[in-house]
Amino acid sequence: MGAHTGPQGLPSTSSAAWGLGALPFCLALLAPLSACAPPRPEGTLIVAGKSRIDSLDPVQASRSGQMQVLSALGDPLYAIRADGTIEPRLASGPPVLSADGLTARIPLRRSVHFHDGTPFDAAAMVFSLQRFLAIGTLGYQLADRVKSVRASGSHEITLELKAPFSPLTRLLSAIFLTPVSPTAYRQHTTKPLNDRFVGTGPYRLSFFNAQQQRLTPFAHYWGQQPANRGINLVTLGNSTALLGALRSGEVDVLLASGLEIDHQQALHRDAAAGRLREGSGPPLSIGFLSLLTDQPPLNSSTLREALARSLDRATISRRVSLGMRPPLRQLIPPSLMGSDPGAWPAYDPSAARSLFRKAGYCNGRVLRLPLTFRSDIPSDRLLALTWQAQVRRDLGDCLALQVSGMESTTAYDQLGKGALSLFFYDWIGDYPDAENFLVPLLGCSKEQGNRCAEGNSALSGSFWSAPGLEAELQRSSRLEGPARQQLLQAIQRRTAAAVPYLPVWLMAEQAWSGPRISPPRFDGSGRLRLDQLHRLPAVPAGSAHRAVAVGVGQRPVAALAGGGGVAAPPAPARLSPALPPGALPAGAPHPSASQPHR
Amino acid sequence: MSRRSDLLRYLGARLALVPLMLWLIASLVFLLLRVAPGDPIDAILGPKAPAAARAALRAQLGLDQPLPVQYGHFLADLLHGNLGVSQASKEPVLTIIQGSLPASLELGLVALLIAAVLGLAVGFSGIARPEGRIDLAGRLFGIGTYALPPFWAAMVVQLVFAVWLGWLPVGGRLPATVLPPEGTGFFLLDSLRAGNLQQLQGALRHLVLPASTLGLLLSGIFTNALRLNLRRALGSDYVEAARSRGLSETRVVLRHALPNALLPVLTITGITVASLIGGALLIEVTYSWPGIAARLQEAIAQRDYPLVQGIVVVVAALVVLVTVAVDLLVALLDPRVRF
Repeated sequence: MGAHTGPQGLPSTSSAAWGLGALPFCLALLAPLSACAPPRPEGTLIVAGKSRIDSLDPVQASRSGQMQVLSALGDPLYAIRADGTIEPRLASGPPVLSADGLTARIPLRRSVHFHDGTPFDAAAMVFSLQRFLAIGTLGYQLADRVKSVRASGSHEITLELKAPFSPLTRLLSAIFLTPVSPTAYRQHTTKPLNDRFVGTGPYRLSFFNAQQQRLTPFAHYWGQQPANRGINLVTLGNSTALLGALRSGEVDVLLASGLEIDHQQALHRDAAAGRLREGSGPPLSIGFLSLLTDQPPLNSSTLREALARSLDRATISRRVSLGMRPPLRQLIPPSLMGSDPGAWPAYDPSAARSLFRKAGYCNGRVLRLPLTFRSDIPSDRLLALTWQAQVRRDLGDCLALQVSGMESTTAYDQLGKGALSLFFYDWIGDYPDAENFLVPLLGCSKEQGNRCAEGNSALSGSFWSAPGLEAELQRSSRLEGPARQQLLQAIQRRTAAAVPYLPVWLMAEQAWSGPRISPPRFDGSGRLRLDQLHRLPAVPAGSAHRAVAVGVGQRPVAALAGGGGVAAPPAPARLSPALPPGALPAGAPHPSASQPHR
Repeated sequence: MSRRSDLLRYLGARLALVPLMLWLIASLVFLLLRVAPGDPIDAILGPKAPAAARAALRAQLGLDQPLPVQYGHFLADLLHGNLGVSQASKEPVLTIIQGSLPASLELGLVALLIAAVLGLAVGFSGIARPEGRIDLAGRLFGIGTYALPPFWAAMVVQLVFAVWLGWLPVGGRLPATVLPPEGTGFFLLDSLRAGNLQQLQGALRHLVLPASTLGLLLSGIFTNALRLNLRRALGSDYVEAARSRGLSETRVVLRHALPNALLPVLTITGITVASLIGGALLIEVTYSWPGIAARLQEAIAQRDYPLVQGIVVVVAALVVLVTVAVDLLVALLDPRVRF
């Protein structure tokens, strides 16, 4: 450095200037590195999501990312198809209920093996359910309904229920109840086994860490073999990285969970333009406002109704989500029993003004209402600001929303303490049934007239109840068919009349795949079918575009609102043409010999 | 002899304070976490779990006990080197730290190397003509890189080189198709030891963008520090004395001015290393780098008390040790330092 001297005897500028030239030199070095990209094993796919997976033990499962991976590694007793109907998976038939509805006998499928080669039987299922009851994070979902579990045959289990429970098969479709091998989990009956999973699903776990999981087809799977040779799941911690990874081709499929709304919109546009393929699951998540009903000012039912009439869901949906989240005027997703699409009052600014006037506002007196949103969810902020602006436009002389953000965990804590007058958040049930939407929002263990002192309604921030409502909720989980449908609708209408909550929009799981990958498809529980993803054969230019356009055209908002579905026409469940049948792992059953349930 | 014993006494005094500092830091973190709003039960079970399930989990995690009892258990465990178990994942905290800390250290060390080479080169380049064009460019570089918002800079670099040009991966530590090497958790080192070229290439490709971005952002500190100290040294009496002895300007700069100008830079390096031990949060988040800072952020969001406490205590201990080591090094190199 500085070997030559300059005019003043100091190191010359020409030699010293290399330091400033170092930056472009270093940047120029980056280009050759692009050639070092590792080769992709033929037939395996890379799926990216935002969720970090700390554990793949079903007893630890509570987040959507964990459930998604478990859905590929394990099998539930029953599964919900994309059309909403139920099919037995590890059960070989529907539950046989006793006359009083308190005992359910479930026949189990034979010739099923765990990934460690041990057979699946009633003892294994009982082991798994009892382990879940003992240490499951969501153990209460089962413990609240089931008194005991026992094997009543080599391939039959019997559940003793605490009360008749009509959505039992839907509860048993939850992937966190997937069985695990008693042999592999013998040392983990009282503690989770985080970094392994030994179940019965179409894939076995061949590598695990929190950012990366590798799934390999299970050669002895009882059902149909996956259409790909394996899935590599990766976690990318921010939305921009996820978007960039799909666009640059670094990953093959992208899960929407955790993607910011503007990035989802960008991907939606890419799909519409034929550059990507898009698929969505059934809409099973609701976004809603919780109104604090036991304290002023929202203890006034007139004001709550006025607020309900002030909410222009269509505008908010269009502005915030480009229509990707359709407006919702009920608490139950439309695809589930009990749906009543028009239960909540519709947007009507003139009716809202009348109601505000009736409550003493508008005539020079503006109701200033604090609206809290979760600051770590960007779309929540957009919604709050959009509604604030819409109210200012329509009812500025009556209502002013004072918008502020609060971090999620703090907000949930404050919500149950009655500190938030008006709070926007969302909810997805642990399994798709109306009961899982109404009870968590309306359940009340200590009712005082129209106030809920203790229970889910208090935890949800509304503190609202009504005489006899809890009994109706409990009765609804005992009824079946039209009687249950009517009761659920009646509960919704009763709740809508009191407006303790304001449903805003409906959300569905979404995924995007590259142009050379099959369109993402979801099951009825909202899980991406990883086993159906595969590479498409190369097609002449132009035809790929047409194929994509068909897929995208079938994924409109109307499909979401109407019960969900898959963007693309269902691809036949077969091996990818790029994957010759001879390439199947040894011992795999021939596709044509697979079980009929898929 | 006297200087050596002074040095040892100084070292002993500094190390004797370490337990006290760690106790203060651990106690403060313990208290702040409990005072902060938010409930770990909400983070684990969600806001709508039944009261009985919440109470059972609270008891299972020991959160139903009085605060002094919880504090007593925490301190007793800490004294035995037990950092506890993560409330969210049920993994030992030490295992989680062992998995995350090497990632941050690897990123930090490579970034520091880039920052030092780039920063010192730019800082040195302007000495030929003080206030000349190159010196001015160096000043602007120093101020500009120091002032760049890390999140924005990282995102721009990511968009250009990973998304638009597609030269390098957008994030993570290894390609999805490559399994991590076993060993220390330093992937470059482990893959070299294993002789696995694919792992080495993958680790390098994934390291380039985050390390370059972080290095670029840190380089301004080195540029400014060297530039100012070098100019000060070049105007000092001992440099004039060297010139008057007829030494060449190159020798004057390289043998007399530069070593003295680098001493403060060494202190700055120590402070930078200490700050990098805790990870570079914005870089780690942007590039999905599974380091200790990103892990700490998640733990705070989940109100995972044992994990937050464990990470803070371990990072604080390392920072204290690095700071002591740098102080000692400066004392050894600079005879003017008195204790």
